[in-house]
Amino acid sequence: MPEVEKIVKHKELIGKGIVSSEVRSYANDPFFVKKAEEARKTLLRVGLPGDKRKQA
Amino acid sequence: MNLPHYNYLISYDFTDYKFFSEGPKGKITKVVRYTKIHENPDTYNLAFGDEQQDTWEINDSIITNNNDRDLVLSTVANTVIDFTNYYGECNIVAKGSTASRTRLYQIGISGLLEEISIFFYVYGLKDDIWYDFQKDVNYEAFLIKRK
Repeated sequence: MPEVEKIVKHKELIGKGIVSSEVRSYANDPFFVKKAEEARKTLLRVGLPGDKRKQA
Repeated sequence: MNLPHYNYLISYDFTDYKFFSEGPKGKITKVVRYTKIHENPDTYNLAFGDEQQDTWEINDSIITNNNDRDLVLSTVANTVIDFTNYYGECNIVAKGSTASRTRLYQIGISGLLEEISIFFYVYGLKDDIWYDFQKDVNYEAFLIKRK
């Protein structure tokens, strides 16, 4: 990748959020747990892009 | 990404994000969470929903109608940058809880595709096969990966 492009890419990808103790962990929230479990099952079934077993 | 977005807060481990949607329906707390669902390669599920003020429950079944769809989607897209800055080259999958919600994700990705594609590979799931994401194709889920 050309150096100029690297620099632009880096500059554009600066995060915009602020780390704060006001954000609690939602790791055990039933909604997110359920969503993650559904996604886990989907991945088990279809794999990831580039997997040899399933690929467009 | 330089599109307008809400300011948002991040948990110390960069897995949880919070911001406030503001519009005709008032101030609504939005939460975005990344949950690890696969290792090697690391893959996370992106989910987001509204936090109810009285119960602290999260759900994405409510149609907020706060007239700020693009702002919300742009904010979620920005959380992907913070997340991948912290966790590196991982996969992120997303799927709405309903077809219309998944369609909303699709609209958001399509609208940002040129900008997203500079930094991420974008895939859509259709009939249990991952394809390179194309506008105007309806997918069942999405996966993005930092380049």
